[in-house]
Amino acid sequence: MSSLRLISSVVRRATTFSIARRGYADAVSDKLKLSLALPHKSIFTSQDVVQVNIPAESGDMGILSNHVPSIEAIRPGVVEVIESNAGSQKFFVSGGFATVHPNNKLTINVVEGAPLEDFSIEAIRSNLADALKVAAGSGSEAEKMEARVEADVYEALQHALAK
Amino acid sequence: MLARRSLARAAAATVGPSAPTQARNMATLREIELRLKSVRNIEKITKSMKMIASTKLSKAQRAMQAGKAYGLANSEVFANVPSDKPTPNKLFVVISSDKGLCGGIHSSVSKATRRALANAPDSPLVSLPAEDATADPSSPIMVIGDKSKGQLMRNYGENLQLTFNQIGRDIPTFADAAAVADMIVQSGVKYDSIVVVYNKFVSAISYESAVYEVKGEEALRESNAFKVYENEDNATRDLAEFSLANALFAALVEGHACEQSARRNAMDNASKNASDMIGTLQMQYNRGRQAAITNELVDIITGASAL
Repeated sequence: MSSLRLISSVVRRATTFSIARRGYADAVSDKLKLSLALPHKSIFTSQDVVQVNIPAESGDMGILSNHVPSIEAIRPGVVEVIESNAGSQKFFVSGGFATVHPNNKLTINVVEGAPLEDFSIEAIRSNLADALKVAAGSGSEAEKMEARVEADVYEALQHALAK
Repeated sequence: MLARRSLARAAAATVGPSAPTQARNMATLREIELRLKSVRNIEKITKSMKMIASTKLSKAQRAMQAGKAYGLANSEVFANVPSDKPTPNKLFVVISSDKGLCGGIHSSVSKATRRALANAPDSPLVSLPAEDATADPSSPIMVIGDKSKGQLMRNYGENLQLTFNQIGRDIPTFADAAAVADMIVQSGVKYDSIVVVYNKFVSAISYESAVYEVKGEEALRESNAFKVYENEDNATRDLAEFSLANALFAALVEGHACEQSARRNAMDNASKNASDMIGTLQMQYNRGRQAAITNELVDIITGASAL
């Protein structure tokens, strides 16, 4: 009788142990630690998220947990962060670098960025017109290049808002 | 005639020392009063400087928190990529500012740079991985801020390659950092890695010098650990330049916060010293005044009783 009780307690202990271990493993494996930082603000700091979609130079890509380590330059576009299966947050970023590290971390450094819903379509349109004017104008080569880059950002923004 | 004049002068000279004692007493009172006035003015100035630094400090601290997070996200790559071979040829970028009256902020980074170049046992580079921990004594140096420039000019004048000023008057922006990074890249100075020497914010009353290493394009390419990362070949250069700007930004913002806190503390101490000095001077002045009054009273009473 006592031996039976001993066995049952051992079994119980074993099951609780395995359950606890599985729970811990789950938490590590299916979440990605995201840091999304701007120079003047950090939007995410090592927060667990499910998926992040980034506009890389080589094409848009989605990053899940346990992604292969990689370094991607980001072009102006929308970074979409899916925190849980329920909803997602969209940020427009101006460009920078995203790095997936071997320890299941994703760091995104961008120079400027804001939630997509904060942009005003009228302001974008007028600024885009200004930038295009300078790009086509008679400034120095460097000035024109700068205006061209500016126009690219506004075009990407317009495209992102139109979706 | 001549002899008499010289005699008179000699007589005047012998009388001289006794007369000023009387006069000195009055003069010291006047002197003390003047000093008291000037110390009070100094106290007013240091107090207002302290107030300004305190308000700037809270702003700088907020900026630093964001900037630090940005720098940490940036340094993650370099933390995972140790060098495979020694990289002694470093470019030192020293972060200070143009303004004084802020304690040992500038000498803290200058000393750290000197220790690093001398490969001293307490060099700030020892915190880096073994292959990166030594520096060539003839490594190039670039300085942001006139104060540290002056300090490093004495011993390492020939190492100085570029200096910047007018940065760090207000909270540094990313544009400042990008401009500096651009100048560094365009200067054509050869380096394996860049070591940013800056003041690290420990608490509102203390700071310490620290370094932040950013590897150059070549060093990144040659590192085996870097090959773990999947990347486009032409992105490495962009990454190195972008990381440099990011590191400079993080260091500038943190250095700025340190400077404000150091200035606040320096001015706090100066105000305290000034008020101590005012206390002792005021005491001295009152005593002197009292003594003069008593003396006069004694004179009057003795004069009156002699009648």
